[in-house]
Amino acid sequence: MSPSDEELVERFQNGEASAFDALVHRWERKLQGAIYRLIGPGEDVRDLSQETLLKAYRGLGTFKKEARFSSWLYQIALNVCRDRMRRTRGKSYVSFDELSEAGEAAGGADPSALDLIEARDLSRQVAAAVAALPEEQREVVVLKEYQGLTFLEIAETLDVPLSTVKTRLYRGLGQLRQQLVRQGIRGGAPVPAPTS
Amino acid sequence: MDCDAFRDEMMDLLYGEASPAVARRLEEHQATCRECRDELASFRRLRRDLATWHVPPGLARAPAFLSSARPYLAAAAALVLLVLGGLAARGSEVRYENGRFAFRLGSAPQGDALPAALAAQAERHQREIQALRTALGSPRMDEEQTLRKVQKMIAESEARQGAFLNAALSRLEERAQTRRQYDLAQVGAGLSYLDGKAGLQAARTTELMGHVLQASQRK
Repeated sequence: MSPSDEELVERFQNGEASAFDALVHRWERKLQGAIYRLIGPGEDVRDLSQETLLKAYRGLGTFKKEARFSSWLYQIALNVCRDRMRRTRGKSYVSFDELSEAGEAAGGADPSALDLIEARDLSRQVAAAVAALPEEQREVVVLKEYQGLTFLEIAETLDVPLSTVKTRLYRGLGQLRQQLVRQGIRGGAPVPAPTS
Repeated sequence: MDCDAFRDEMMDLLYGEASPAVARRLEEHQATCRECRDELASFRRLRRDLATWHVPPGLARAPAFLSSARPYLAAAAALVLLVLGGLAARGSEVRYENGRFAFRLGSAPQGDALPAALAAQAERHQREIQALRTALGSPRMDEEQTLRKVQKMIAESEARQGAFLNAALSRLEERAQTRRQYDLAQVGAGLSYLDGKAGLQAARTTELMGHVLQASQRK
């Protein structure tokens, strides 16, 4: 059985430097996924992921064991992303080519050309809709929908009450649904009440 | 449970985090409230749409973190510094002469050996200067040879640029093709929509005309 994050942290704090490598191996890909969806595609994703891990490495010596490692790491990643977004505010991160790649990754086995185009288009629309969300809602949507954190873990990561997390998620999903319907994607649209 | 309470707890049900008791209450409410049932269903469909956005596989793993190698690197750096420091203290030197590096371990020659070494070096430099003068004065590097060399360089450069241009054109063509397919699909979808709308309008007009004709015949 592989050791838990907290065990690895303890080993690192006791001088076993390789324990941090195990944490990097476990978390790097997840971090990249979160950063990709928070700031949009681009070379920055790898840089920001490295910056997050470096900050974690520097701070791990004083990390308090009461906190969950995953929440602490996501907290660092969110701060790194917020800093980057503040520095580059106004620039568009969503590029057609890279979102096309994302759409291709979503395609099932042997899809037709039309399927590919549709999947690519839907993937693009979803990415654009998530990017258009206010920062607070986008963070909750990404952590819940794509990173699979529990509401409690998100509340701990963002340091807000549980009810705030759920409200932000409800509003974020509502806005995404509205945005996608406006772009002609009917999947999330509310079913109209029957007219008798 | 009323609709406001349902909305408060709905996120738990949507993400499978509701306790069995809460889940039962939510299920009971949505069984009797069409509006709440529809909203939950629409969020479930939205989640299916959101799931189409994947992280591209191109995001390769970054190089491994060097935490474990750090002590070894520090020890290696310290060793190199120690060796270099020791050599410098003993008067060793590194020189670049006659197109190659020359190392000397230990102290420089002392006493009479130094003037002799300097004289030999001065003589060697004189010989090299003389050889260079002879080379510059001779017609060996003639214009024809220079021209051939420049032509070869130009040809190589043109070949490189050609290959680069071809690759860029091919990428551009591929991208334009994808874009065209996408635009065609959108135009097709738009036309189908318009076709449907126009057909419905025509049917309504025909029906209306029928009523007008019937009314006028009755008169």
